[in-house]
Amino acid sequence: MIEASPRVPDAGRGIRRIRVPQKLRNLELFLLVVACGINAFAVVLVQLGAIGTVDSTVITLCASLSVLVLGMHFALRYVAPNADPFILPVASILNGIGIAVIYHIDLINGDTGWDSTAIRQVVWSAIALICAIAVVVIIRNHRVLQRYTYVFMFAAFVLLLLPMLPGVGQEIFGARVWIHIGPFSFQPGEIAKILLAIFFAGFLVQRRDTLSLVGRKILGVRFPRARDLGPILVIWALSMSVIVFQRDLGTALLYFGLFVVMLYVATGRTSWILLGGGLFLAGAIIASQTLTYVNDRFSAWLDPFSQKNYGEDGGSFQLVQGIFGLANGGLIGTGLGRGRPDITPLGQSDFIISSIGEELGLAGIFAILCLYLLLIARGLRISFAGHDDFGRLLGVGLSFVIALQCFVVIGGVTRVIPLTGLTTPFLASGGSSLMANWIIVALLLRLSDTVRNQPRLVI
Amino acid sequence: MSELTLLILQFAFLALLWIFVFVVVYAMRSDLFGRRVKKLPDAQAAGAAGFPTAAPAAAVSTNAPPRQQAPVPQSKVPTFTPLEGSSAGTHPRATTGNASRLVITAGTKSGTEIPLGTMPLTIGRSTDSSVVIRDDYTSTHHARLMVWNEEWMLQDLDSTNGTFLDGKRVTSPVNVPLNTPIKIGATSFELRR
Repeated sequence: MIEASPRVPDAGRGIRRIRVPQKLRNLELFLLVVACGINAFAVVLVQLGAIGTVDSTVITLCASLSVLVLGMHFALRYVAPNADPFILPVASILNGIGIAVIYHIDLINGDTGWDSTAIRQVVWSAIALICAIAVVVIIRNHRVLQRYTYVFMFAAFVLLLLPMLPGVGQEIFGARVWIHIGPFSFQPGEIAKILLAIFFAGFLVQRRDTLSLVGRKILGVRFPRARDLGPILVIWALSMSVIVFQRDLGTALLYFGLFVVMLYVATGRTSWILLGGGLFLAGAIIASQTLTYVNDRFSAWLDPFSQKNYGEDGGSFQLVQGIFGLANGGLIGTGLGRGRPDITPLGQSDFIISSIGEELGLAGIFAILCLYLLLIARGLRISFAGHDDFGRLLGVGLSFVIALQCFVVIGGVTRVIPLTGLTTPFLASGGSSLMANWIIVALLLRLSDTVRNQPRLVI
Repeated sequence: MSELTLLILQFAFLALLWIFVFVVVYAMRSDLFGRRVKKLPDAQAAGAAGFPTAAPAAAVSTNAPPRQQAPVPQSKVPTFTPLEGSSAGTHPRATTGNASRLVITAGTKSGTEIPLGTMPLTIGRSTDSSVVIRDDYTSTHHARLMVWNEEWMLQDLDSTNGTFLDGKRVTSPVNVPLNTPIKIGATSFELRR
């Protein structure tokens, strides 16, 4: 038992710490061991279902991920002993299940070695986890980030513009969001979303008073003055230019949604949500009328089963195959390793949720959604308990990025909203997305460590 | 591998996944459903519902016999001055410069002090509060003491039973004067030099 934290001078009787750090970390270790066990079980099931035997690939696929998450756990014991114990296990189980399903698609396609997406995913997970450990070790106090608010803004804009540069920029499936250097391709927008969250938090902490206190009341809702609309219009213009020039609907929705939600949390004014929603709807409707690729997405969403949309290039073929996959899975799924997730184009990245739905069924999809819910709830909880405004806003922003991404992708695959090309956090194959999401996890762990630092008196 | 074995393994996997989810939910239950209430001894519960019985530690040692009915705590004296808002005039506002400690004046831990820094303090039943009060009257996240322009402010976090500064319920963030009782459930405390 640690009687009192060394940072707080002893103040007489009655000071004891509840939920001592050791206990938190032991809980995390227990959950992590269970999570690694489930990941290994998933890969074993894939092999049994697809090839009937178990071979040594299980070890290469699971061991490195397990070693790294346990490494992160031990790093936390030293540098962030009070960090939240649930985030790391939940993220690792999502990552592991993703690897198992990607591995099945590799088995069907006959990819081995470096052609195998699963092997590359494991390597990217390793890189991402090393980045996450580095973030936790280097950033000892999140308030340091506030000092560099505008540096982060500048860096985010540079990253957003990189794919537009001739030479490094690359167009894949119509969207110009990739950069290509040597054998590596990378989506800089994924890292930009973290930098933007940090910038928005720093900016709104300074400016929220003017954004929330003045304005005229219409129908019981206080609307901001015209001159305070500057920031939201700039971000709106930015996301609209992402739609037009990078041809990426999902990323635009992500950036704009992130800003509007952080603005709402910072000011507590419903009018920002109304304004933001209206602006984005207007933009999306204009885009769907003028840009063909947006128009295609809309008609594929509204009427995917018509022969015209199904057969058309860039039509609803992929969406419909995903839905067929989900239907094939039914309530409990075909079983890991026994479905046909390879029929859906991009079943290992954009459509991983329908691949999982096919193999694990509704029961499995709901478990995955519950894991996301727990992860996001932890993030919001950390920011709610935060002590400083910058940390609180940053926590909201980072957890909302994950939430919005889940909504946009899973909503797109299940036909709640038009399909857009975002990645499912932790599950989908893709290095940049994994790296960004693990860095978000590291930042949330760092925030939670500062928050929990001090129950000082228990009555 | 027979079909049946694979089916059973599939069920086992799904069950394991859900068990993991529920283990996590169980482990974080206090955050989702609030902390369990610690029952107070009867005398104290009466105190919280009615008038304050516990005097500040200093007062107890000088004049109050332990079982006296309704003693008048010394720190309460300014409450009875007739002018509205005069307590703010009597006591200067607490700033990070002049307030150095938080003293519990009534409740189970009366007499306990904690040093004040410049960091905000949260008060509530949840374990991540800076001051954890576990009784029937405290909400999970009850109130917050924060620093605005170097002055201590008290904010009620929409608690069920309210936060009282000098006997008045706090609705919006207010300045905290020095030596003025803040009451949460059965516990009162003051900011002092």
